[in-house]
Amino acid sequence: MNLVLVGLSHKTAPINIREKLHFPEPQLPEALQLLRSQYEMRESLILSTCNRVEVLAQTADSPAGVRQIQDFICSFHQIPYNTLQQYLYDFTQIDVVRHVFRVAASLDSMVLGEPQILGQVKTAFTTAQHAGTIGATLNQLMNRAFFVAKRVRSETTIASSAVSISYAAVELAKKIFNDLKGKTVLILGAGKMSELAAKHLGGAGVSKVLVWNRTYQRAVELAQIFRGEAIRPEDLFRHIEHADIIISSTGSPTFILNKADGERMIHLRKNRPVFIIDIAVPRDVDPEINKVSNIFLYDIDDLRNVIDANLRQRQREAQSAEEIVQQEVEFFLEHSRARDATPAIVTLREHWEGIRKEEMARGRKRLGHLTSEQEAALESLTQSLVNKMLHHPISELKRLSRQSSNQEDMATIKRIFGLKD
Amino acid sequence: MSTLLLRLTIALYSIGLLHSFLTIITRKKTLFRVALAGIGFGFICHALSLIFAWVELGHPPITDNHGALSFFAFVIVLAFLISYARYRLESLSVFVFPLVFILTLGANLISSPAAPQKELLRSLWFYIHIPTTFLGYAAFFVAFSAGIMYLIQERELKRKRPQAFYYRLPSLEICDDLGYRSLSVGFPLLTVGIVAGALWANRALDQPWGWDPKIIWSLITWLIYAVLIHFRLSAGLRGRRAALMSIIGFVIVLVTFVGTRQQGSAHSFIQQ
Repeated sequence: MNLVLVGLSHKTAPINIREKLHFPEPQLPEALQLLRSQYEMRESLILSTCNRVEVLAQTADSPAGVRQIQDFICSFHQIPYNTLQQYLYDFTQIDVVRHVFRVAASLDSMVLGEPQILGQVKTAFTTAQHAGTIGATLNQLMNRAFFVAKRVRSETTIASSAVSISYAAVELAKKIFNDLKGKTVLILGAGKMSELAAKHLGGAGVSKVLVWNRTYQRAVELAQIFRGEAIRPEDLFRHIEHADIIISSTGSPTFILNKADGERMIHLRKNRPVFIIDIAVPRDVDPEINKVSNIFLYDIDDLRNVIDANLRQRQREAQSAEEIVQQEVEFFLEHSRARDATPAIVTLREHWEGIRKEEMARGRKRLGHLTSEQEAALESLTQSLVNKMLHHPISELKRLSRQSSNQEDMATIKRIFGLKD
Repeated sequence: MSTLLLRLTIALYSIGLLHSFLTIITRKKTLFRVALAGIGFGFICHALSLIFAWVELGHPPITDNHGALSFFAFVIVLAFLISYARYRLESLSVFVFPLVFILTLGANLISSPAAPQKELLRSLWFYIHIPTTFLGYAAFFVAFSAGIMYLIQERELKRKRPQAFYYRLPSLEICDDLGYRSLSVGFPLLTVGIVAGALWANRALDQPWGWDPKIIWSLITWLIYAVLIHFRLSAGLRGRRAALMSIIGFVIVLVTFVGTRQQGSAHSFIQQ
């Protein structure tokens, strides 16, 4: 296993550099072919997203591999190496494994734990498969990376909390109502923001959408988008008590809803809770309304606070995710080394078993007729001889395979016993 | 045998208690499987322990302090398991199991009196009176826990600064629903328990209604829960106020259960 990875990401390079190195999707097969034909990469994969560009390869020799991939990136995009040097990072061997696992598990993402990256890595893998540049090594590495990502997702809560305004609103709604099925949303003011928030709530299962706007026509238009109902400007307070969730973003300079409205609403609703999201600036809803029991008011800053708290939560979770990655890296290395050594051990055994059988046949001819007991004794004698002779070399091969830095010793042993790679 | 099984029960409940807390702290759902295994096997041991005690004593083991504590812990675990089957709330265990642990520990420390059971207590009505009352109390305890979870989560949502509890506790609607359902199960059970108690007293003591403190407090409890359920159904009493009332109701249950064990009253038979 000789793995190399060269690339840059949002952590090392600004957007104007990242966009220059982007590999457009149609050019990927061609680029992968180039890596194999001109840069002698046995296997390769290119991951190119808006936040990172990375070339992963399995090569004959890793230090040389790093330089070759750097050359490839520079010449493919026709940018001199000097300008890129400061932005590029490179990994070899075990560090490649760790980096790939972390990227797939979204631990290296701009928004920690965001889910898109795994899909992008999977697409990159499929593209490389179609281009024919995936062999046994990258196949094992990438499949393990997908498994690690899944483990991180299911064993930590790194991706469970919302980090965008509209998702934070949905998350809060679920903390109040649990299930949004059967709930009614009222949109006050037909702006872009309220449309977006209503869309997310609709995706989360809200059953009914009411739209109210100062100009009735606009309300009707928006209501059509959500297959909802438009409310006439003068009828707002006749319908407001039906709303479980109110999203407000009107251009009104004064409060539309005050505390007294809230109290009346809750009374009519027989204390069923109301979640009010006020994303208007200046605000539409008197903050005092939050003091009414069973009304929960969040303005745009409150939602941002929730997101900040969620991000801190994700960072805490990232630590247990890093532990999972560490475990998996060790597991992967142990297994890949065992895979490296097994063919050698098998060949060694077969080689000596062949010699033993040959000598047995020759000896039998010379000794003439043997009783079955004598035959068995001879068989066990030769077998134990071979086993004793091979015992030390085989345990040494196994031991060496568990350590990474003994490639040379391994090669020596193989040479002494006349084994092929 | 029943004592031995009860020792095993407390060991298994400790595992359940510990892993419940670990689940909530680390938010690793895999840990809760261990907790649930501890609770589940503990519950089975507990049931066996009660059965053995019944066989050993020759009557249901609910008529002395040791038996009462053990049986109360048992019905609370039963209430928890039923709630868990319905709502899958890991966080509920953190509220329920400290009390279960204390009760089971208490039962382990107090031994059963060797004296044979009083003739007075050998009555079908008595054997209905105790389990139904205890089951009712267990349901009220779940309602109490749900009320506390509601108040904490509501505070998190009103303060708008999500902290540890925001992520770990269920939604308000679930807390409210669990509280309400527990009450609607607990209240009929308590009612049956009180009626059975009165019928038993009528036969055994020739008076249906002795005004000992325990009976007075039980009636107060019954009235509070009756009011709560009434307003819940008729005027939509829910949320914060309902949660508070569930909590107050259970505090009075505790007073009834623990605080009124005076000599000279009808209920002091039990502890002699």
